[in-house]
Amino acid sequence: MARQGGKAAAGRAAHPAALSVLSVLALLSLWEWAAGGGWVREAFFPRPSSVVAQFVVLVRDGTLASHLSATLTRVAWAFLVAALPGVAVGLTMGVWRGAREALDPLFAFVYPIPSVLFLPLAAFVLGRGEPARVLTSAVTSFFLVAANTLTGVRQLDRGVLEAAVHYGATGHRLFFKVLLPGSLPWIFTGLRLGLGFALIVVVAVEMVGAEQGLGSLLWLSWQTLKVRDMYVTLLVIGFLGLGATYGLERVRERLLPWQPRVEVRR
Amino acid sequence: MAERAGGTLPTARVRAEATEAKVVVRGLSVRYTSSRGTLTALEDISLSVQAGEFCCVVGPSGCGKSTLLRVLAGLIPCAEGEVRIRSDGPQRPLTAMVFQDYALLPWRTVLDNVAFGPENRGVPRAERYRLAREILAKVGLSGFEHAYPHQLSGGMKQRVGIARALANDPEVLLMDEPLAALDAQTRNLMQEELLRIWAEFGKTVVYVTHAIDEAVLLGDRVVVMTARPGRVKAVVPVDLERPRTLEQKGSAHFARLYNEVWQLLREEVSAASREAGGG
Repeated sequence: MARQGGKAAAGRAAHPAALSVLSVLALLSLWEWAAGGGWVREAFFPRPSSVVAQFVVLVRDGTLASHLSATLTRVAWAFLVAALPGVAVGLTMGVWRGAREALDPLFAFVYPIPSVLFLPLAAFVLGRGEPARVLTSAVTSFFLVAANTLTGVRQLDRGVLEAAVHYGATGHRLFFKVLLPGSLPWIFTGLRLGLGFALIVVVAVEMVGAEQGLGSLLWLSWQTLKVRDMYVTLLVIGFLGLGATYGLERVRERLLPWQPRVEVRR
Repeated sequence: MAERAGGTLPTARVRAEATEAKVVVRGLSVRYTSSRGTLTALEDISLSVQAGEFCCVVGPSGCGKSTLLRVLAGLIPCAEGEVRIRSDGPQRPLTAMVFQDYALLPWRTVLDNVAFGPENRGVPRAERYRLAREILAKVGLSGFEHAYPHQLSGGMKQRVGIARALANDPEVLLMDEPLAALDAQTRNLMQEELLRIWAEFGKTVVYVTHAIDEAVLLGDRVVVMTARPGRVKAVVPVDLERPRTLEQKGSAHFARLYNEVWQLLREEVSAASREAGGG
């Protein structure tokens, strides 16, 4: 694309990316220099180079792998538990006014509650095990997926709906050939946000109550003052979020070729 | 659908078998009731359209010409009066509509948009694609089968809209200001295209527009409607020679017809704008 798009286009595309990399490098260098020169306390802000070294250590001894896999498993389950009913409930609310009116106040009430607070509640019902952790991590994601799916159905153009009905799309055909494909862009937005929130809440839940997982590693490192381990964990969590967002974005571009590309111009 | 006798909609839009005009509208009124009172959109409309006729309907904004088309399409039930559409093939849909804002399904390719009507009627895949390709070729869209609507210009989108309607092989083709969203040059080109396509398919057409020149150029007759509530004010026969071309717009005969329609429409337009200004 950029390779054949002429020098000007390639230059414009490369420029902001180069700036982003430069700004990160500049920050890290400043940090490295400040920590090395004793300007900030290395006990709290260890040099980036030493954090990278510790990262290698944690990868080699398998610590990171076991915590990472525990977290990833929980995120996958939480995402699944949130996404499937989320889409179903969102679609139902979109097409059926009764469901919309019945569930709206519940959504407005439950959605803003920080999901970690559901952990004790879930533990009452499911016991203090994985199911309670997964369910807790799924709550906010479920609402995000459902709310975006609902918006997707409601924002469908009335003229397009009228035309679809006029050309014979009624009943199940209206649902599967019009409402569902038409709301897919919004469903995807919901899924992307939902995946991000599943990661956030899983880590939070692990901090409060789990023996394995990046959240518990982070908490443990802080309590035992293994500051470098803490930074390594933070980095890994950050990159997980980054990967999830960009990964789903690629999937969306593949699955929804009919959407005009949104080009962000700044 | 509305055309099924004893259907759920309280409508008198019926599939007629008797040999009469292709479309017969008798004493049709449409009223909307809301908390602020009753609004009469159409009042006592009577109209017939012969098979193969190109019938244009003009009127001031808000006179209910789109409503008339939607009643013909079965999208709005007609509570008063009746609409009879003669059916020459029991499997054929009574109407297919071309919409002003195209109303294409954005997630479907051009080919799948055109095949949408037959698909919903259960026409097998190979057959409906063959049909869609054939019609796309006739409206000048060969090579765009796999494009998505957002990749097309306005004129091309409306060609897709027309192809979609033709693919459904309706008894009557309904067109709701199909060229209104296009720029002037594209509109001229599309008027020629419509003349060519109409000659090729020989459909009965009811064509709503607010452009007098378009109505005179395309129509066999021009139905002039009054300001709200919409009634039929006059029907002007257009005896311009066929096949028609854009060049006829320059003729004295065309100008006479244009003026005749404009004189009929003039006081209705000012009545409509007075009403719009007053409330």
